[in-house]
Amino acid sequence: MTFGDTDFFGLDVNRTIVIMTTIGALPDALKNIDTYGEFLRGYNPATGLIEDEPHVGLETVITLRIEVKDDLEPSWTLYSDRGALQQLERSLAWKDRSLLAPARIGTYANTNLSWARGSVLNRLTEERADLGLQLAHAARAARNTFGVQAAPQFTQTLQVVTETAKSLGVPVGATAQALLDAHSVSIGDGAIALHSEAGIPLRSLGTGSSRLLVAGLQRAASSAATIALVDEVEFGLEPHRLMRLLNSLGAKDAAEPLQVFMTTHSPVTLRELSSNQLTVLRQLDGVHYGICAGSVEGIQGTLRKSAEAFLSRSVIVCEGASEVGFARGMDQFWVRCGATSFLASGGSYVDAGGGSPDQCYARGEAFLQLGFRVLVFIDADKPVTDVGLVRRFREAGGQDLSWRAGLALEDELFRHCSDNAIQALLTKADEMVGRELMAEHVKSKSAGRTTLDAIEAEQFNGGFRPESRALLGLAARNQKNGWFKSVSGFEEIAIDVVGPYTRDAEPGFIEILNRLYGWTSAAA
Amino acid sequence: MPPPEIDIFQARLGSVTAPAGCGKTQLIADALGQHSDAKPVLVLTHTNAGVHALRSRLQRGRVPNSLYRVSTIDGFAMRLAGKFPLRTQLDPSILELTNANADYPAIRMAVYQLLQAGHICDSIAATYSRMLVDEYQDCNAMQHGIVCAIARTLPTCVLGDPMQAIFGFRDPLVHWESQAQVAFPPIGVLQTPWRWRLAGMDSLGLWLLRARETLQAGDPLNLHGAPEGIEWVQLTKGMEVQQRLRAARTEAAARDGRVLVIGDALNVSSRHRFTMQTPGATSVEAVDLKDLVNFSRQFDLTSPNALRRLAEFSTSLMTEVGMTNLLARVETIRCGRARTPPTAAEAAAVGFVAQPGYKTAVVLLEAFANQIGARVYRPELLYCCISALRAADGEGGFVGAAVQARERNRHTGRPLGRRAVGSTLLLKGLEADVAVILEPERMTAQHLYVALTRGAKRVVVCSASPLLTPTTGR
Repeated sequence: MTFGDTDFFGLDVNRTIVIMTTIGALPDALKNIDTYGEFLRGYNPATGLIEDEPHVGLETVITLRIEVKDDLEPSWTLYSDRGALQQLERSLAWKDRSLLAPARIGTYANTNLSWARGSVLNRLTEERADLGLQLAHAARAARNTFGVQAAPQFTQTLQVVTETAKSLGVPVGATAQALLDAHSVSIGDGAIALHSEAGIPLRSLGTGSSRLLVAGLQRAASSAATIALVDEVEFGLEPHRLMRLLNSLGAKDAAEPLQVFMTTHSPVTLRELSSNQLTVLRQLDGVHYGICAGSVEGIQGTLRKSAEAFLSRSVIVCEGASEVGFARGMDQFWVRCGATSFLASGGSYVDAGGGSPDQCYARGEAFLQLGFRVLVFIDADKPVTDVGLVRRFREAGGQDLSWRAGLALEDELFRHCSDNAIQALLTKADEMVGRELMAEHVKSKSAGRTTLDAIEAEQFNGGFRPESRALLGLAARNQKNGWFKSVSGFEEIAIDVVGPYTRDAEPGFIEILNRLYGWTSAAA
Repeated sequence: MPPPEIDIFQARLGSVTAPAGCGKTQLIADALGQHSDAKPVLVLTHTNAGVHALRSRLQRGRVPNSLYRVSTIDGFAMRLAGKFPLRTQLDPSILELTNANADYPAIRMAVYQLLQAGHICDSIAATYSRMLVDEYQDCNAMQHGIVCAIARTLPTCVLGDPMQAIFGFRDPLVHWESQAQVAFPPIGVLQTPWRWRLAGMDSLGLWLLRARETLQAGDPLNLHGAPEGIEWVQLTKGMEVQQRLRAARTEAAARDGRVLVIGDALNVSSRHRFTMQTPGATSVEAVDLKDLVNFSRQFDLTSPNALRRLAEFSTSLMTEVGMTNLLARVETIRCGRARTPPTAAEAAAVGFVAQPGYKTAVVLLEAFANQIGARVYRPELLYCCISALRAADGEGGFVGAAVQARERNRHTGRPLGRRAVGSTLLLKGLEADVAVILEPERMTAQHLYVALTRGAKRVVVCSASPLLTPTTGR
């Protein structure tokens, strides 16, 4: 492992890097009293605490300490309080190191497809090629085959060399020759690589295929290595292959065969793993800590449904697709006005699926516990039943945003936007669901007392009347065929109508939009 | 190679009764040689001498040293105490053993509790495949407890002989039948007297096995009818001292054969007197080298009596010191009244008085030892003393250096002289061509059995009666 100045906190190389790793499930060789007695410690899985010496009922563990000073040379030693007190310095014996050496499945997977040093192929079996002689033969054969072919192309050069040598009395024979230097054709064990039946080197497989193969081999060799490291596990893999890779690493096995540390930016990975297998890393005031997703109750469903949100830092839990679309559209509008996108600041949207507001708060609380910034964005047409939940959510730092009492999104839009905006909304609805349907909705919601035409005429006659606005809201959010009821529908009206006409809207509505803007723009 | 007499790895827990000279060490070596587990066998015994003996036997038998870890029980306990100070609650300084009489029991107790609690079962099982404990009869109660605690984790076989249990003067030893054999059920008794068979003295070996049974039953042993090899020196009243001195000069048949002279266990000074009077004899020293440590405490360079103390101490190590004469001569020489020139020893003594120091003391001791006709009969003590004096200018002074020399000596040990005088306790575990038993009437059955089994070819017994009646309760 190599370190650089950039690995130091704040680039301050005088602040020594110390990494302590406590390792359990030790093979017998590492629990050897004679060799490591002074460094054996006890780990309490219930409390997560480490005692400096083994104790009955505790797991016997050792702690490996890596220290990097400004010379950038990492020193690996074992650590225990008593060892430090007695100033004992002990590192792992070489043969024991290989017992712990993690299998790294990374971008350098290619070395694992040849018999190079440290290749997984060498860990699969005890077989070792003894090919020194054959390789030397091969090099000589190459030299012979190559022969004098180069000579004609270097005729003049060779002539100059020969003449110069002769004039200086350096013996080169009749003429100097251009032959292949057997020594520069160095062939080591690493030159023996896996090939397909057709003779194509397996390293020319796609990144995904070769990683998949190497991961499978790592699994096969896992009797030797029990820890695997995978950076960006999804790199180069289609979702189905990614799932296959995760399965091959044993993600779904009842008894997990390997301990795998992997990083990911893929929602596919999150969906495939159980919440116990996921840890969210957070940084707070310069201190990093990990929270196991599984420690949060009921997270599994959210994880499956909103995996993308787990990869962000700020989450807006929306009651349904309408709010998602609306919030996204507003964000895009604000970007057009020169703001930084909520997405660019690590924000994401969760669609709570049109359930109850309680569900939104519950989901929001789960995200809060995992260290996310959370905004719950709900309609106010259905009451919150679990008041304790809302209180807990707010106390834990969560924020919530809802329309005015008893109102849904469409109600707010039609009641509180300007007349011009309402005309634009009606035009959009016409494009989306058609005038016929709209007229029918107005007729049935007003119980036949008025028509769409009549309402439209109002705007030229002193403006839309309040009861008409209310009626339009009701008609637009009818259960069966809502006028904008889709993510893209609301996205569109937010960008094209609500955003541009904000200024003329009712102040209370503007206030809500401002709060939304305030929260999303603070994400950065 | 024939299969070992008893398979000591067969049982989860077992004990083997091993009479003297019946191939116990060989049995251990053979078993370890056939050991095939990847983890080594933990082999424990009592004394550092025992550890050396086992190790050298295993090395001679070409048993790869990856197959075993040999240690004393106390050494093993001390290592555990050092590795787990939190669980044993021991102050690390106790491991320096400045007060050995109190420190050893404290360490044993703490380690017993550590093991009994099961804190390190896991690591013990990870480190060793099984355990063998040699000379089990010498275990005291707490050591027995430690072994039993380890045996909960490791398959264990203990080997020993209740008839050789002679360490019991301080702590009560484990009782063979009611404790050892209960914890470790008997799996066999060795009964081939290899030591005598190899010396061509088969009948002596078989007679000693029978004698062992007699003594174990508490009966007196009759030397009448003993086979060739047993030699009874009938003591006549008034002549005992001369007869014993003569017996002590018994020659081994082979030129380089060794003779062990076994004296009274309790009367140390009589043994030293005996050694002094026997040509070629040297004393076997107890590992605590008490006389050296005592001398180091009393020896005061600033005292006007320093020369006298040094000369007295020398007199107890070698002949020809002639203290009274020497002290007078030193006076004379210092006053310039000497008519004869000073001998080398006298010159060294004058040098010491003129400049009392540890270096000059060494010069004087060496001069004493080099005097014509002088014989050092306690060489081990003399060498340790000289090495301590040489290091006495260091931090711990002479006392510290003496303790260090003692500890070093405890681990290296010195080769035994050709004619070694000691007690059963000191000669236990050693063997020679000839054993001379000076005072069998003062011995218990165990001491007598140990003494009788020291000679492979010849055993000389000095006693008034051919019927040897062991004492009880010593």
